[in-house]
Amino acid sequence: MRNDTVNGSRGSLTHPDIKTMAEVNVDVLRPLSRPGKGWWMLLGLCVLGIGLMLWSWGIQMRYGIGVSGLTSPVGWGVYITTFVFWVGIAHSGTLISAVLFLFRAPWRQSIYRVAEAMTVFAVMTAGLFPLIHVGRVWHAYWLIPYPNSRFLWPNFRSPLVWDVFAVTTYFTVSAIFFYLGTIPDLAAARDAAKGFRKKLYSVICLGWRGTDREWHHLSKAYIFLAALATPLVLSVHSVVSWDFAVGIVPGWHATIFAPYFVAGAIFSGVAMVITLSVLVRKAFGLEAYLTIKHYDAMAKLCLVTSMIVLYAYLSEFFMAWYSGEEVERAAFWARLFGGYWWATWVMLVCNGFVPIMLWFKRVRHSIAALFTISIFVNIGMWFERYVIIVTSLHHEYEPFAWGMYRPSAVEMGIMVGSFGWFGFWFLLFTRLLPPVAIAELKEILPKPMRPVVSNPVPSADQSGDMSNG
Amino acid sequence: MFGGTVPFVIIDDGICLMNDGLKRRDFLKVIGTSSAGAGMLGCSTEKVEKLMPYVTAPEEITPGVATWYSTSCGECEAGCGMWVRTLEGRVVKVEGNPNDAVSQGALCSRGHSSVQGLYNPDRFSGPMVRENGELKSISWEEAEKILKDRIQSANEYYFIKGSTGPSLTDLIDDFADSTGGKIVSYNPLDHDPLREASRIAFGREVVPWYDLASARFVLSFGADFLEGYVSPLRDSRGFSEMHSVGEDGFKGRFVFAAPRLSLTGQNADEWLPVAPGSEGLVALAMANVISAGTGDAGPYQEIVDAYSPEDVEAEAGVSAESIRRVANYLVESGPSLVLGPGIEGQHRNSTAVNLAVAILNFVAGNVGKTLDYSSPQVGPSSGPQGYDLMQAAIEDMSSGQVPLALVHASNPAYALPSASGFKEAFSEVSFKVSFASAMDETAAMADLILPDRHFLESWGDSSWRSGQSSLQQPAMRPVPNFDSKQIGDVLLAVGQTGKEAPPSFYEWLRSRWQSKTAADGILEFENFWREALRTGVASSKSEFESSIEALRQTDRALVFDVPEFDGEGEVHLMVYPSARLGDGSLNANRPWLQELADPVSKIAWHSWVEVHPDRAELLGVESGDMVSLSTDYGTLDVPVWIYPGIRKDVVGLAMGGGHTGAGRFADGNGVNPMDLIPAETEALSGGLVHFVTKVRIAPTGNHYQLASIAGSDTQSNRPITPAVSLDDLNHGTEVHSEEGSHGPLKELQAMGGFVPVETGGMPEDYPLPGSKHGEYGDDDEPRWAMAVDLDKCTGCSACIVACQAENNVPWVGEGQVAMGRDMGWIRLERYYEKVDATQAGPLDIRFMPMRCQHCNNAPCEPVCPVFATYHTPDGLNAQVYNRCVGTRYCANNCPYKVRVYNWYTFTDEEPVREGLGHIPEPLNWQLNPDVTVRENGVMEKCSFCVHRIRDAQNRAAVEGRDPNEVVVACQQSCAADAVVFGNIKDPDSKVAHVSKDQRAYRVLNEITNTQPAVSYLKKVTFHEVESEGH
Amino acid sequence: MTKKWIGRLTIGFVAILGCLTFACAQGDDDDDFSSNEEATTVLDLTQPIAFPHTIHAGVDQIDCQYCHFSAERSVDAGIPPVSTCMGCHTVIGGSDEQQQAEIQKVRDYWADQEPIPWVRIYKVADHVHFPHMRHVAANVDCATCHGEVKEMEVIEAVNQPLSMGWCISCHVEQDVRRDCTVCHY
Repeated sequence: MRNDTVNGSRGSLTHPDIKTMAEVNVDVLRPLSRPGKGWWMLLGLCVLGIGLMLWSWGIQMRYGIGVSGLTSPVGWGVYITTFVFWVGIAHSGTLISAVLFLFRAPWRQSIYRVAEAMTVFAVMTAGLFPLIHVGRVWHAYWLIPYPNSRFLWPNFRSPLVWDVFAVTTYFTVSAIFFYLGTIPDLAAARDAAKGFRKKLYSVICLGWRGTDREWHHLSKAYIFLAALATPLVLSVHSVVSWDFAVGIVPGWHATIFAPYFVAGAIFSGVAMVITLSVLVRKAFGLEAYLTIKHYDAMAKLCLVTSMIVLYAYLSEFFMAWYSGEEVERAAFWARLFGGYWWATWVMLVCNGFVPIMLWFKRVRHSIAALFTISIFVNIGMWFERYVIIVTSLHHEYEPFAWGMYRPSAVEMGIMVGSFGWFGFWFLLFTRLLPPVAIAELKEILPKPMRPVVSNPVPSADQSGDMSNG
Repeated sequence: MFGGTVPFVIIDDGICLMNDGLKRRDFLKVIGTSSAGAGMLGCSTEKVEKLMPYVTAPEEITPGVATWYSTSCGECEAGCGMWVRTLEGRVVKVEGNPNDAVSQGALCSRGHSSVQGLYNPDRFSGPMVRENGELKSISWEEAEKILKDRIQSANEYYFIKGSTGPSLTDLIDDFADSTGGKIVSYNPLDHDPLREASRIAFGREVVPWYDLASARFVLSFGADFLEGYVSPLRDSRGFSEMHSVGEDGFKGRFVFAAPRLSLTGQNADEWLPVAPGSEGLVALAMANVISAGTGDAGPYQEIVDAYSPEDVEAEAGVSAESIRRVANYLVESGPSLVLGPGIEGQHRNSTAVNLAVAILNFVAGNVGKTLDYSSPQVGPSSGPQGYDLMQAAIEDMSSGQVPLALVHASNPAYALPSASGFKEAFSEVSFKVSFASAMDETAAMADLILPDRHFLESWGDSSWRSGQSSLQQPAMRPVPNFDSKQIGDVLLAVGQTGKEAPPSFYEWLRSRWQSKTAADGILEFENFWREALRTGVASSKSEFESSIEALRQTDRALVFDVPEFDGEGEVHLMVYPSARLGDGSLNANRPWLQELADPVSKIAWHSWVEVHPDRAELLGVESGDMVSLSTDYGTLDVPVWIYPGIRKDVVGLAMGGGHTGAGRFADGNGVNPMDLIPAETEALSGGLVHFVTKVRIAPTGNHYQLASIAGSDTQSNRPITPAVSLDDLNHGTEVHSEEGSHGPLKELQAMGGFVPVETGGMPEDYPLPGSKHGEYGDDDEPRWAMAVDLDKCTGCSACIVACQAENNVPWVGEGQVAMGRDMGWIRLERYYEKVDATQAGPLDIRFMPMRCQHCNNAPCEPVCPVFATYHTPDGLNAQVYNRCVGTRYCANNCPYKVRVYNWYTFTDEEPVREGLGHIPEPLNWQLNPDVTVRENGVMEKCSFCVHRIRDAQNRAAVEGRDPNEVVVACQQSCAADAVVFGNIKDPDSKVAHVSKDQRAYRVLNEITNTQPAVSYLKKVTFHEVESEGH
Repeated sequence: MTKKWIGRLTIGFVAILGCLTFACAQGDDDDDFSSNEEATTVLDLTQPIAFPHTIHAGVDQIDCQYCHFSAERSVDAGIPPVSTCMGCHTVIGGSDEQQQAEIQKVRDYWADQEPIPWVRIYKVADHVHFPHMRHVAANVDCATCHGEVKEMEVIEAVNQPLSMGWCISCHVEQDVRRDCTVCHY
């Protein structure tokens, strides 16, 4: 069946600049060499970010959740916004690696590694926020169902409990999926590396030798996990969306939320993949592997999802008007022209209108343009969550209880810090794992004439054999 | 965590704890564990706790069971009867005394806060004397010796006192007489013009006894009788009886005629926004209409005839037509009642205005029916007072010849206009003695401080109506932190009261009552005394026998016209008593009162100046913008609050702010308007005039973040507080805005029921058949429910403080309130429907006391991940603090926004951060041990006083009483009797009856289908109500 | 060397994660509820007077509620006032040296009219409301919670933790109400 992949993809995506398969290993494994100054500076920056986050969180633990700007009636703010943002980011990874794998999308091979890494780290980041958000984090474990002396279970009707399951499941699966995909490349890395690295890789590649049986099992497991992960792409963010849809808050209580959030998630995820892969590509000179064609494909994905998201926005406003429900109408009016109009318009422009440029081939084929747009989308998608959460809460049923919310320094510190946390793991990834899937990449390269090649790298050899066998 | 609840331990009742520091600490170990142990893990056994048994157990005290004492409230002259709840020898709450004719079981916010006066952490630790500038503590013996010597050496001195109970007044009189003291009795909120007018008209210098209940129509010329005036609780009750719809479908109308709407004004059905100072003219014009032809006005007939509505309409700024209309209201439906201008209306012709009101009452035939001059509110026995006395004293003192001045129960350095020069004059006195129990502006200047006791620690009496009195008895041993002594005892110890003095004030009080009762022919004194102490009510004969027959010829020259206002410009400055603090001179250091959102402005802590929207537009200012108000007498910077309920040519400024030495909670909040007005007496009565000057307003360009709890001022087309017009109500027109056609609802019940259950959705349908509540959730479970009559609620906010006192609800501090983090379990919402300050016409301002609705179908319950909020079998929407993780999802999902969150720990003895709420010792002695004290990160809300319910059930199980006899704190404190609570499943219960009323509706139910357990009864208006349901 | 750093950094942050999770895992079930073992082990709980329940409750068979007088009508069982002790000990002086010494202490407290600062042994957490009267009315034997006090030379918390689970299990056995607001409000 992997041959299908090969055939399906052959010719559709060639890397003309790549001469030999040996070159692939050299190129892809290059980043695993000693990092340069820039890398260290970035890492330092991220560590600072993490420091900022821990410090802010410390303050909050010391004094109380009151150090945030949260208040009545806006009980959720930047924390939940950022939580949803990162969960959203996490999505494209699984989409690109699993779904596109099942659909045999030819262009995934060279980007899915980056995407998956991003997924895992994004979930790790998202997972922090529910903890940061709750008032008594030292009791947060009560959300986990475990037999206890109190004869008490969590409330399985509460979407927050669903969240616990959704996020943990998603993390487990995507982590395993990610790890599984890297094993052959880790082996490649092992063969390339020496010293401590060699030991490390030989441990974590589980002594991969690249025999037929190994490849056979790997591919079985891989497709199995892919099948397992695919529904998660839809379910996880649907569950997250139900945190809101289940509530009766005007602006939350809508049936459209699940698809709306999933689309949004993929949208933001792909955008983030573009942002990161462009950087990786530039930093490690992987132009040959991440070609315009890849970006063109991702841009199209962006375009589609952005259209869906825009449609969701518009239908929300329409339904609010069409319902004739005073409270609903007022809520959405306030969203557009109330105290938070700026956030709403940032959202609409960044997610709805900027991506329209992707209709043009010239834009899709300009890395710089794509990069800028992806940044816009990332910002826009953060604001989308901010708008949904904050503007809905600040203007609810009880007019006398209306009020405004202003994020505090602590909240912003934690939010910014979370990027440091994410970046930290991503940077480690760039130096510890091959950023492009070597084996799978080779599958779609024009196969060398059997007798000629003398592969320096066994794993490459194996993959060569494999693709015939 | 939750270290706050005082553990159930027996403590010595304080005798031997008073002096010894060590033992006091032990005392606190058991009493004041309040959040001392409130660590994050909340393990409350981190320290060894001591159990202090009684030495000998007082037989009336059972540990863990409250003991009640009856006394009378010393907060204002109304002297309401009180019940004091004490636990293990310490006061935890005060409530109205049901036997008392004035309070009838209710209590106002100020009364509730007296507990914080008792435990005021800024009270003096003991007597002090000033030595080279510094106050230093001394013993009582020394202190009394100093005082004695000073008095002996001084041949004459001043004794400045506020209002005191009759017995203490007598004692002070005797003391002053025998020691050459000149008494200056001054009460900042006294009604001299009213009493002078009564004297002129009827020969009795009294404040009459008002009976609103039996009036069929009430007209007030600015008297704020619901919040202050003479007896707020009595009048609130009377007003609600008169103003609510009776069985016969009659509803008494209430018209308010004044330039500014006080809270009382906001309750009016019609508003005559009369021009400043023109009340007298309007009153006469009405009298003119009524007595046209008939010579009812007697000696004043010519004057009355001289003022026809047409003559005054120009000056008064209200149409003659409206004056005639109101005049007819006065006579058309039986006895009516006209109330004179209050403190805020006291201008240079005040006596004349009060006289005009008296005449109007007389010609309308109200005297003897709704006003009683035979046994009036305040009899002449209260002796001479008034600002003129004070003025004389100030002149004398400023001469520097006065050797000695004593000050008791009064804070003139704060309460008098700075223009009076009191401070300067007082500082000239060579030796100044203060009996203040806590530091205030006047005590700060004193050379000798003899801290008096709080009335909850003291013996005394109060006369709330001539012939009607109640006794004060100590409800607890004096708070051991403060070495105080009752002034009566001090005076007696210093001696020289002429006749042979009894050893203690207690003896004095008894002997005085003994002779008094003997005079009234009561022989069994001991029985009388015991009864009086038990019931808290004691009566003797009134001074007057005869009733009023006719108006008397005046003996003074009267001017009824609009008086002169100082200064130029067109904006008049109205200085009015704060609805929360009154004049605020002695009770400002109380977080409960400071944080209570003002009933009118909904602003807490700081001062504001009320400005009409048009005026604000002229000035180009928004609410919160700072303006500087300047008169010929001073300048103040105050933030603006835009208020449609005030005339364009008037701005309002409340008393009670701007303290400079009254304690940690009072100082620096707002401004003191007395700095803006002259110190001038009203010619005829000698009272201080308040409404006397114009003011220049200039924006400063700064902005102040006002701590307001108000979101929107209008309902924006939502049926939060719908109303129904009286006609529709009586003609049975459809008045339901709720639950129309849609048939039986299907509900997923709480407690994990996933099975749809059919229900009518009414409170009594609960719990639904088949809903999962465990085997004990059976049919004979009660269903607790509440009904609130919005036609009775006056928005006075007493329930909020009562709830705070009962449920250990913390105060959070100004900054937090400004952020929207106030934690009151009841949010008293105020919505404007019809407010027009430009012309006379109908007025419609709605109040909505919003608290947890204990919904059958509560949106907060399914979203809580840990069951911290859930439905109990008896239908409560319970909040389990110690299970709460603090996701705040429930608060987001509550359409009523009644869930409040502990953003910090507000219950520690030290503030967690600067300016946050905290409960410094001994304030924490007030904490109610029956209710858990909450910590940071926990959600809370109205619990329907579940602890009272459980207590009733416990008693029922043990003593076989009726488990349904539950009264919740807010219901108890409501003088308007607007709140009803009980088991709605019991068809005979009041709540079941009231919830069936045709005015009953449930807020937002038709939108959210929450099926609340709280029903509201629509307000009834006289004007047509626009748009159905609004 | 670089690689080492990377390794260490990773380990470091994993460690931090660990600490955070640990922090979250604090406040273990029974800490919310008063745990008497801790109290007894950690704290010095010697009573001001060596009061032997063995003699009073055991030998003399004095009913618990004779001294703990409010248990049947109040949430609080009550600690006997010194006067109650003196009811007997004006007459009873103790049989041996050691007893006499202890009883003398009681008399001293009485003489200077001072309360005896007993050390608290039993205390449920502040957010738990335990009405003694209900349990007395339901004929729950004192020993059920307080153990065989009549056999205790020195009063001590028997080794049950007064934890919620412990309360609940009994409420389940007895099939009595156990929704949260029976105890928590």
